Amino acid sequence: MKLTKARALILIAFSVPVAIELRTVAGFFNVELPLIAVAVIEFLFLALLFVLYGLYGEGSESAA
Amino acid sequence: MATESGGSEFVDTFPDEAAIIKASFLIAFVSLGIGAFFGLIQALHRTNVLRVIDSADYYTLLTGHGVLLAIVFTIFFLCGVFHWAVARSLDRPAESALFSWAWVGLMTTGTVLATVAILGGLVPNLGMSADVLFTFYAPLQAHPIFYIGLAMFIVGTWLAGADWFLSYRAWRQDHPDERIPLQTFMVLTTMIMWYISTLGVAVSVVFFLIPWSLGLIESVNPLLTRTLFWYFGHPIVYFWLMPAYLLWYTVLPKLAGGRLFSDPLARVVFLLFLLLSTPVGIHHQYLDPGIAEGFKFIAMTNTMFLLLPSLLTAFTVVASVEHGARQRGGEGYLRWLGALPWRDPAFTGMALAGAMFAAGGFSGMINAGMNINYLIHNTLWVPGHFHLTVGTAVALTMMAGSYWLVPQVTGTKLYSRPIGLLQVIMWFVGMVFMSNAMHRAGLAGIPRRTAEPQYQNFEFLTPIGSIFELRVQIALGGTLLFLSVVLFLFNILLTSLGEESDRPVDSYLPEPLSGPEGSPRILDNLAMWTGIAAVLVVLAYTLPLAGIIQNGGGLFGGGLPVPATVSAGFDLVLTTVTSAFNTLWGVVA
Ligand code: HEM
Ligand SMILES: [Cu+2]
Repeated sequence: MKLTKARALILIAFSVPVAIELRTVAGFFNVELPLIAVAVIEFLFLALLFVLYGLYGEGSESAA
Repeated sequence: MATESGGSEFVDTFPDEAAIIKASFLIAFVSLGIGAFFGLIQALHRTNVLRVIDSADYYTLLTGHGVLLAIVFTIFFLCGVFHWAVARSLDRPAESALFSWAWVGLMTTGTVLATVAILGGLVPNLGMSADVLFTFYAPLQAHPIFYIGLAMFIVGTWLAGADWFLSYRAWRQDHPDERIPLQTFMVLTTMIMWYISTLGVAVSVVFFLIPWSLGLIESVNPLLTRTLFWYFGHPIVYFWLMPAYLLWYTVLPKLAGGRLFSDPLARVVFLLFLLLSTPVGIHHQYLDPGIAEGFKFIAMTNTMFLLLPSLLTAFTVVASVEHGARQRGGEGYLRWLGALPWRDPAFTGMALAGAMFAAGGFSGMINAGMNINYLIHNTLWVPGHFHLTVGTAVALTMMAGSYWLVPQVTGTKLYSRPIGLLQVIMWFVGMVFMSNAMHRAGLAGIPRRTAEPQYQNFEFLTPIGSIFELRVQIALGGTLLFLSVVLFLFNILLTSLGEESDRPVDSYLPEPLSGPEGSPRILDNLAMWTGIAAVLVVLAYTLPLAGIIQNGGGLFGGGLPVPATVSAGFDLVLTTVTSAFNTLWGVVA
């Protein structure tokens, strides 16, 4: 499936609640995640998405 | 659902209706802009990020925010949607355009009066204010023109309902044996619920609050005005939600590329809301000392029943959307999600609104539980909850729906789809930040309706993260939300200024997969359902109201309150009924 701009935006949107509550989820497993770790994880996710978009995104072919 | 006649657009077929709808939307959007601006100021003020107003003026803005968004924006918009839905599904114009303008005019006048009274609070020495918040019950008191404006607004909605019932009656004469078209069915059941529930607030405003604010009566029974408010205050949430449901059931499946799963199920859901939404208002009063625990327990039980139509809606709508995705070639257990038309802001906005509504439903169950409610009562949790429900499920659905509806009434193409998409996603992200942090802040005990929830020698504690982070999230979320509204208004404005187009939007709505034919005709018997709804209301409210009048020192207060018991109300009802019976007997014998 092609990673369109719209799909990428949706994935970013849904990553926000996950990131915000990541520390709570980690807490269930007695892992104390510092805020900075959450920021890094979210940043890595965005970077990954960026790369995928470059590889499979709308630009790689005519816009869907 | 009737198909559009000859492929011509709504604005060409129904020019008078389109004008009414445009006027309603215009007022809704102006209110949205002002209300959102106040929201931004509040979010920044109470988190101590930026304070541009005096804390004493906080309540003036908060009242404006609540009234302009939760009452004016939502109701004007839904009147536009209902006017559209009735005209298109009955395929006939309203009986009298003049009458339609009359309700628009009355509601607008009411809005202006109430808004002037509220904003008057910002002008010192004017002697006019209405800092009573959007719940406006005693003992807070507003300038009389606030209540008068409110009363005009409500009477305006009654006339609007009459307009749609008249259309329906005329249609019925031409189609004696047909089933009520689904969209009209939804409008009519919603309006019946609205008539039943606004009766309470009308009594409160006309008999108690207006005379009291004019000085004609010295006191009121505050618990009575509270209870009458909440008698209406819960059904109003369904008055907001049902137009959103109308769009989810009849428009969203089409936007997803499919069609509604089941027409009869949609009818059942709307009937359940008609029956169940009024006899539950006391669930907002779990902490009111003047109401006996037993009545609160009954209200809680009824409330839990309301989960049923909500879950039915969730399943039907998701099933219809999945059907659409599979029509578009989607496959797999979850991969079909990717096949949905995410580029379309109308679809994406409504889908995100629905997703957030699920979260709002869960926090709502916490509110509804009588004992666990004590944990979050009057904390910031509560605004966190309703910004997901009315503030997103309803407001975002309305904004998203506008991207599809506004072109139908203006005859112009949407100015920008990408900006629309960005707007709805920004709303989602902003609301995730603001609402989630509000819920958490509420769990930490931070109160709502407070300009400066910062206290000396006292620290709120959170189990994870810090209060500072929550404040930042609320301020950040509020800012994103405000920017989202700006993008929305800008997009709609440019749309309406655009050039006329032959085919501004694909407005065709396909028939449901399973139509109304097979379902029992009794579903369409509106008189019977109205009767049952009324009986449920009488059962749920007679004893509590009698108890409140008895214990709270009479209809107009003033007497000495006594502790609440279930039997007190019963005594009052018993003595009233016996004395009425005795009088009658005296006349007869
Ligand atoms: C720009 C977007 C918005 C922002 C930044 C915002 C912000 C806020 C904040 C911070 C409060 C809490 C104030 C307090 O308790 O001290 C609040 C209350 C409220 N908001 Fe919003 N809000 C927004 C949109 C909406 C929408 C779209 C609706 C409804 C359609 C809505 C309805 C309400 C209501 C009913 C209250 C409660 C007022 C009261 O307690 O009397 N808000 N809002
Ligand atoms: Cu309620």
